[in-house]
Amino acid sequence: MLPDKNDIQLAIKQKVIELAEGMGSDASDLALDEIIPASGYIDSAALLELIAWFEAQYGIQVPSEDLTIDNLGSAVLMADYLLKRKSAN
Amino acid sequence: MPTAIHVPRINNNDDEVKLVALNVAVGDTVIPGQSVAEVETDKAVVEVEATAGGVVLAVRGEIDTKLQVGSVLIWLGASADEAVPGEAGSANDGAAATGAEPTAKARDLLRRFGLQAAQVAASGARLSAADVERHIAALGLAPAGAPAVARAPQRSAPLEPGQLRDLRSDELGMVSTVCWHRDEAVSGYLEVSYDPAPWEALAARVQDEHKLLLNPLLPLMAHSLARLAADSPRLNATLVGKQRHEYDHVNLGFTVQAGDVLYLAVVHDAARLSQIDFVQQLIDLQRRAAGHHLKARETQGMTLGFSSMARWKVSRHIPVLAPHTALMVAHTVDGEGRAVLGASYDHRVLHGAAIAQTLNKLSKPPAPR
Repeated sequence: MLPDKNDIQLAIKQKVIELAEGMGSDASDLALDEIIPASGYIDSAALLELIAWFEAQYGIQVPSEDLTIDNLGSAVLMADYLLKRKSAN
Repeated sequence: MPTAIHVPRINNNDDEVKLVALNVAVGDTVIPGQSVAEVETDKAVVEVEATAGGVVLAVRGEIDTKLQVGSVLIWLGASADEAVPGEAGSANDGAAATGAEPTAKARDLLRRFGLQAAQVAASGARLSAADVERHIAALGLAPAGAPAVARAPQRSAPLEPGQLRDLRSDELGMVSTVCWHRDEAVSGYLEVSYDPAPWEALAARVQDEHKLLLNPLLPLMAHSLARLAADSPRLNATLVGKQRHEYDHVNLGFTVQAGDVLYLAVVHDAARLSQIDFVQQLIDLQRRAAGHHLKARETQGMTLGFSSMARWKVSRHIPVLAPHTALMVAHTVDGEGRAVLGASYDHRVLHGAAIAQTLNKLSKPPAPR
């Protein structure tokens, strides 16, 4: 059974909030469709942690060529990408 | 002639690793790139890959034992009948695997670094000092008996009560690295502040053009440094005895903090890569470091370093030189947005003017080639 899209988006946002806290930022106002790298809440190193968490949490591996804004730029896009990958499997 | 597969350096801070798996046995045929063993530090397990093909002649390690980085782990031969170097019946017992007798200077280096002639490949009829120096530089070896801790007299113990904790192997390795910086290099430090806007504009263009998720600013700066070093070999060098060893390739080491382990992820032959290829390779390395999945080769062979502490908004960051390197560039942007490029350098190899010129060139994006 595929995970719920809304649950995925909220879990991603929660992870961003947690990572931002570690950098002294408050990301609770992050919109689900806001582009995360452009938001300024987390830097590239934290983005890598977000991707590593995303892979572990949902049991997928993101190939290098898929590491793009279009696929993973926001919580909405990340959830769409995950569901597309899960459906394909 | 037999080929040695050496115990790899997993990260810059560990001089020993534990052998946790052997995937081949004496008599097996291996192909280049095949996984032959697995070694471990406190934080990572990496596969050891065969650097050449051949038949396994000997295995020099047991499961669950600690092995010295750089020592021979496996001997490969063209056939199972080939004699193992250093054993009775091998050609020129005690001499190099090629049968080449070491020169006097080579013998001195072998002795200083605790090596056997059989461990080092000769490029000619005799095993030369240059052959040994290349081997030492490639494996990042320290002289035998070099103290892992301070050369200064033993200090007295602290008087206030507390708990003694054993250091992890990576922590011990950091002590060793810091002591190389202090005991071997004659380190200097310079810094320049610069206008970050041109670099930020370039990074934004590259990110947009390639739709990259991650900001390529730091990889782009690191690539520029690699290209500057390729144009000025002295930046990509170290001192061996009374000679300057200018590395053939620019292997750019980039610091990645993964939890409480500091990795130096190494992009080999960085200067020959295109800008975007370098960016992609470095991002891949950073991802693997974050998951403690770097391969041995990806933490070895650094000749030049780049580090950033911009995420912590520090105003100055004076990095430690990794063994056998002469330059480590440090980038930061402080809380007020002041951007700084600093460099720790080995004054035995580089002078301040060269560093200042390099930092000033690095402070602006390169002109398109």
